Amino acid sequence: MLPSLVLFSFFVWVPLLSNISLSLYTTKGFEKIQFSGLENYLAVFKDDLFVGALLNTCEYAFWSVIIGFLAPVIMAIILNEIVHFKGFFRVCAYLPNMVPGIAAAILWTFLFDPSAGSMVNSIIVALGKEPSLLIDDSDLSIILIIIAMTWKGAGATMLIYLASLQSIDSTYYEAARLDGANFMQRLRYVTIPHLLPNISTLFVLQIISVFQVFYEPMVMLDGGTDASISLMLLSYNYAFKDSKSGYSAATGVILAAIIIAFTLLYNFVQKKLSPQSE
Amino acid sequence: MKKFLCVLFSLSVFACTLIGFTGCKEKNEKIQIELGMWPEANLTQDIAMYKYWESQFEEAYPQYDIIAAPYTYNLQAFVSDAASGVLPTVFQTWMTEPPSLIENGYIRDITDQLEQLGWLDKLDEGLAANLTVNNRVYGVPRDGYAMGLMINKKIFEEIGIFYDSDGDGVTDIVDEEGNPLYPTTFQEIYEVSQIVCEYTEAKGIAILSSNQNGGWQFSNIAWNFGAVLQEKNANGKWVSHLNSQACIDALEWIQMMKNEDLIAPGVTLPYSDWYKLIGTRAVAMCFAGSDAISMPVTNYNFNKDDLVLVPMPGDGVHQAYSLSGGTPFVFSKDATDEQVLGALRFLEYMGRSPVVSDVARAAIERGHQTAQSKGMPIVPTIKPWKSHDYLAMIEEIEPQYINVNMEYYQEFFDTIDQMRRVEEPNYCQKMYEELDRAIQAVLENPATANPTALLNTANNNFTNKYLNELNK
Repeated sequence: MLPSLVLFSFFVWVPLLSNISLSLYTTKGFEKIQFSGLENYLAVFKDDLFVGALLNTCEYAFWSVIIGFLAPVIMAIILNEIVHFKGFFRVCAYLPNMVPGIAAAILWTFLFDPSAGSMVNSIIVALGKEPSLLIDDSDLSIILIIIAMTWKGAGATMLIYLASLQSIDSTYYEAARLDGANFMQRLRYVTIPHLLPNISTLFVLQIISVFQVFYEPMVMLDGGTDASISLMLLSYNYAFKDSKSGYSAATGVILAAIIIAFTLLYNFVQKKLSPQSE
Repeated sequence: MKKFLCVLFSLSVFACTLIGFTGCKEKNEKIQIELGMWPEANLTQDIAMYKYWESQFEEAYPQYDIIAAPYTYNLQAFVSDAASGVLPTVFQTWMTEPPSLIENGYIRDITDQLEQLGWLDKLDEGLAANLTVNNRVYGVPRDGYAMGLMINKKIFEEIGIFYDSDGDGVTDIVDEEGNPLYPTTFQEIYEVSQIVCEYTEAKGIAILSSNQNGGWQFSNIAWNFGAVLQEKNANGKWVSHLNSQACIDALEWIQMMKNEDLIAPGVTLPYSDWYKLIGTRAVAMCFAGSDAISMPVTNYNFNKDDLVLVPMPGDGVHQAYSLSGGTPFVFSKDATDEQVLGALRFLEYMGRSPVVSDVARAAIERGHQTAQSKGMPIVPTIKPWKSHDYLAMIEEIEPQYINVNMEYYQEFFDTIDQMRRVEEPNYCQKMYEELDRAIQAVLENPATANPTALLNTANNNFTNKYLNELNK
């Protein structure tokens, strides 16, 4: 008990409380100079970059739900239906997860390069269209980053769904078949209800993880642009590019508060909607 | 009991580690100097050169112990390195950085040590300006650079702009009467770029646009359209003019180039793109510093004889400038006076000090020989020290090692003293960041972007976030 408590305090609580404390001071480098109350928070809220980063982060969350959330569910369902080479496809689906994050981001940067000779642009040109700015296009950059993140992370999430799918008693499917249910009906009345607990948990985890998106825009857009900067990246820029560690700490606290609020709201709604609460 | 032993063991390991670190310091009584400019492990020829300098230095100054501590300055890692006290005694940075490093207390004042060595009045004033705050000096320049227009000679030959004008069998960059064949104005760059795009697969020019590099280059372009980016007003307050008509003209020039697809593609071009683009024949021209000529050669095996560096273009009306900066050696806040003195003395053994001696001479020659053996282009340098005997020594050594056709560089180096202009004095990197945004917006939507509005935003942001703070 004691060693784990010591380690937990040292690695989790001390940095956490130090960060909160740092956010309440004027700073020089990482040194606290003078207590300034909520000044850092007010300054951060007034910064246009913060507002932009907050909106971008919400946009990341939105697209991750649209693109990244459904992909592993679909992958798991397809994989569950495959009869031959199941193991092979499972490994293939998981492989991107084993690629280091930075390497994956660099790989996708090459694919989404705005030059006419990049892979994606070559395909676009071959289809008779004009080359696109791709990752440099402010309207596309977040979507493309989410695609790269989904490619990297969907395999692991898919395995969780797959495990859940494989735990469904086959008699349910047999009964559904006997009742004349087609694939879509089996999906609706058997598969999805069984996946729901996982889906809801992974949904929250997905939102939490996407709210912390950091290195992808940094690597794929060479430090990030106004159109793609996330709250985490902004916090990093405050600390390491602007030497404003107080601002950085305040941004971190705000981000944590948003995530906590979201989680509490989710738990509240979940409780209200769950049958046990009725 | 088991838990108690676990805790006891953990504490013992922690205590032993602490004792180990303390022991390291006490073991060696020599003054340790960690050299951040020591080459990275893959640069074997450079390491051999540094080891030679180290052995010579330690022989002459046995009280010092030189420690190799390769350190590459970058914004991402620096603050945490400085905060955790792992900076080497001396390291290299960029010329725009010292003001913020000084403000945050990361580097130390070395005025007294420079005075003690008699070097203080030998510094080049232009380069020393960025290293000086309140008459205290915080570093020494390693070397200087000035920005110029780099040209891929082969492409210019292919489109018939460069040819052998004097009949000696070698391509010339001036005509029979000595008039430049290369572009000397932004309008000429535009016209040449049209020809490049029409007859080759390359684009006309690369315009950098991210990581403050866009603003860095743009400030030089804007100066040459007649812009004054920062100045003190009558009340002694700093004001910026990023939205002046000259700046708008400069951004509109970029917009025009982009609108006609004469610029390398992309919206966020980082520094490494200029040498990639020119080294791979993707563009015919780019703006680059005179200290970075070797980049396309060493990174993309570009033939050094196919590079041309000419003065920065102008608008044909205003004085054309060449943005000048350099690489300074700065000293960690934790370095002691003795360490600073030792590190400065070591610069003589690297040939980077104003000292004229056989040791310095040999070091400079060795540096050139190493560069030669690596196939790097060697051109004249912008000297960081101004004392006559130092300049005479360099003038004597340098010409022996120049391995490029100086005809392709002569105009640049002949005019550089009149054209050099140091970077803006306040929050330069922040100003570049604001300008980056305006450039990116123009590159992304060249048909619809409004340079005036973009530069108004840049100017307001820069004033509100930085200059107003400074003027308080």
